[in-house]
Amino acid sequence: MQPRAVTGLGVVSAIGIGREPFFRALRDPVPLADAPRRPIESFDATAYPGAIVAEALHFDPTRYLGDKGLRTLDRLTKMLVVAARLAMVDAGFKKDGLYVHSSPERVGICCSNAYGSLEAITELDRVAKLEDARYINPAKFPNTVSNSASGYASIWEDLRALNVAVSDGNCGALDATACADIYLDSLRADALLVGGAEAMSEALYLAFCRLGALRRVARLGEGAALLAVEPMEHARARGARVRATLTGYGTAFVAPETEEPLIFASGEAMEHAILAALGDSEAEPGEIDVVASSLSGLAPFDDAESGAIRRVLGDSAAIAAPKHYLGETLGAGGAMGMATALAWFDGVPPAHLVAGSLPSATKTVLVTSMGFYGNASAVVMRRAD
Amino acid sequence: MLVARAQRYKPAVQPQAVTSGVSVGERGLSRVYITGVGVVSSIGLGKAEYFASLAEGRSGISPVESFDASGLGREYAGEVKQFHAKDHLTAAELRRTGRCSAMTLAAARMAIRDAGLGDGDLSGGRTAVVLGTTMGEANIIADLDHRWIKSGPTGIKRALLPKYGSTLLPIHVARAIGAQGMVLTLPAACAAGNYAIGFAADLIRAGRADVVIAGASEILQELQFSGFVRLAAMAQNRCQPFDLNRQGLIVGEGSGLLVLESEAHAVRRGAVPQAEVGGYGLSCDAYHITRPHPDATGSIQAMKDAIAFSGIAANDVDFVNAHGTGTRANDTAEAKVMRAVFGDHQVPISSVKSTIGHCMGASSALEAVACVMTIETGIYPPTIGYETPDPDCDVMLVANTARVGKADVVLNNSLAFGGYNAVTCFARPGVLPPPQWRIPDGSHDRAPASAILARSPSLAESA
Repeated sequence: MQPRAVTGLGVVSAIGIGREPFFRALRDPVPLADAPRRPIESFDATAYPGAIVAEALHFDPTRYLGDKGLRTLDRLTKMLVVAARLAMVDAGFKKDGLYVHSSPERVGICCSNAYGSLEAITELDRVAKLEDARYINPAKFPNTVSNSASGYASIWEDLRALNVAVSDGNCGALDATACADIYLDSLRADALLVGGAEAMSEALYLAFCRLGALRRVARLGEGAALLAVEPMEHARARGARVRATLTGYGTAFVAPETEEPLIFASGEAMEHAILAALGDSEAEPGEIDVVASSLSGLAPFDDAESGAIRRVLGDSAAIAAPKHYLGETLGAGGAMGMATALAWFDGVPPAHLVAGSLPSATKTVLVTSMGFYGNASAVVMRRAD
Repeated sequence: MLVARAQRYKPAVQPQAVTSGVSVGERGLSRVYITGVGVVSSIGLGKAEYFASLAEGRSGISPVESFDASGLGREYAGEVKQFHAKDHLTAAELRRTGRCSAMTLAAARMAIRDAGLGDGDLSGGRTAVVLGTTMGEANIIADLDHRWIKSGPTGIKRALLPKYGSTLLPIHVARAIGAQGMVLTLPAACAAGNYAIGFAADLIRAGRADVVIAGASEILQELQFSGFVRLAAMAQNRCQPFDLNRQGLIVGEGSGLLVLESEAHAVRRGAVPQAEVGGYGLSCDAYHITRPHPDATGSIQAMKDAIAFSGIAANDVDFVNAHGTGTRANDTAEAKVMRAVFGDHQVPISSVKSTIGHCMGASSALEAVACVMTIETGIYPPTIGYETPDPDCDVMLVANTARVGKADVVLNNSLAFGGYNAVTCFARPGVLPPPQWRIPDGSHDRAPASAILARSPSLAESA
């Protein structure tokens, strides 16, 4: 991968909305295991006493988007559109709603979600079953399609170069960087908003509850994070501030040796992904100052991932677990990891390391994402000097 | 009969096994060949049955059987009725998969067999799987929802939960063949097949994979069917693309998968390429979530880009597989694309959706298979049910009866929810110039803002 400049960030998260509030909150984030219980805003949680989720607190899209045209948008779309708007401004592509650099035909979006259409599907299924399919709201039907949110982001922010949705579970946001790298390299766009989004819903919470995947540490989260990514030459030519570079990507899939399990944590896949990302970045293991891991509190996955990290980077590797305070944001997870790395490059010390010790300075970060089905992806980011 | 006619047609370049050394294009890019295709469709399983039905105009549209559609005012779909997962999957795979994944696995096995590859030939990190869909395992989530509605949270069957998710389609295929490279789902709605094939070809050109199983799948499902009825987009019992009196689309289902292979890999094993993947174009309308832009500006750009990335001119194109949904907005917009791209040089165009319905995420993959077969046989499949010309759709339609003609270069057009536009070029092996990673300066009207980019080192060079 040629180094890709990261010139902006739009983020909606449980700890802050917008780059600066997000960075500030990362200075001393409260682990979800220790956080006071907050009332759930995104769905009626009366049937789930004791439920704890990491919601985008007091998320009010009208503050960023105005109050027109939001009625039929689902929560995922609102978060993604807000993140897109914030990223476009943060990167300096837009000011007061207008393009000041590049043009709509040359800017696009490439982003992931894992279960983005769940809220709409369950809502419309209820209408169809409890009332009649003839009463399905046609204006909400497009939300059942998982690329709908990124489609709306293009409409709201006028992103016409290309629009690519990725659905790869937890690995989606990192895999979106690989797609973006290819599209940028072939000059299909001057810049792309790259990342992911995932929204809380009762169906999502219930599914993870029934799977027994929610524990004291493992909490579901939500949010959207989009990085403005462009070729270095383009960023320099327009005088943009380069906050970091994406320099390497790797991914792998390894199936379980037995036939039955579908859910499977593959440490081997993670090891392959990390080695590929390091190779792509021409980085030595010793160059990694800290890992923005996807450790979430689910023991089999955490064990496989941390084992793979240690096998490649050594036992003293510094490992952070942003999901411990942002929650498990699934399709947005890798994007939240990259957004966290941007904060570290900006001088925010990595908080609550689960292994290793704080680096004196954070210059190179490995971001990892562990899939639920034997897949894993990794990205190397470097501080812009 | 058509096949016999087609055999008399002499293509400009005869397909043949690649036996010489690897020829590389600019910057050492590999050509990308399609060496196998697999199909699950309402008109047949496997490419031979599928394309014979298409060519003969045998409709796959029939009354829906998998759910009760009688109260919706629309009862017809391109439903796949002859697919039995147990004929294609192992017992363990049957337990792990829903209908969408099962169709995908079946089509993958057909494609791999068609490519002359065997079990284990594709194991390892140099094989990737890139697939598209719109809703993936829609039946699984519907089942879970209905249990939840009927019995509350405890009624949800835990074992079903992991089977939901569009992420799973490539996972199942990768498990079946031992692939350890990238597993990627691109849920680009009705353009998903073209998105997957285009990206898969780029993975190979960039040196990141030798073989990619690419394509897309979709299943017919009650909520999706009802949604299109509520959007007033569904026709009664037939789909008539480009006809003056067209009433809308007919929903379909199926799976179309292709084996994409680097030239070097194909050479090593003496494979016979069926077609070459040329360039592709992507754009986004950024206009409306379901309707195409009335001026079709994004679609026009995507088609121009596909032609430019292929290193050819518009008048090199022999045939266009239309998106052709049968809705008023789509077909009118698509006719504008044809006029804008080809001008007075009209190119034959046809929509297989008249025969199999709109298979949503799978549509452009199933149509890609049709494009490959058109290149192999010289047969342009017809748009059936065409009766009355529409002055707003002034296209050279292959109406009602298949035609035989030159088929060296074929375009596959697709538009989708979200304003997604994607066009892919397929060509007879040996016809296209060497592949190019970037559009040459000045060859199209969407040049990058900064000329400096054209001189930047590329991913392809570093591969």
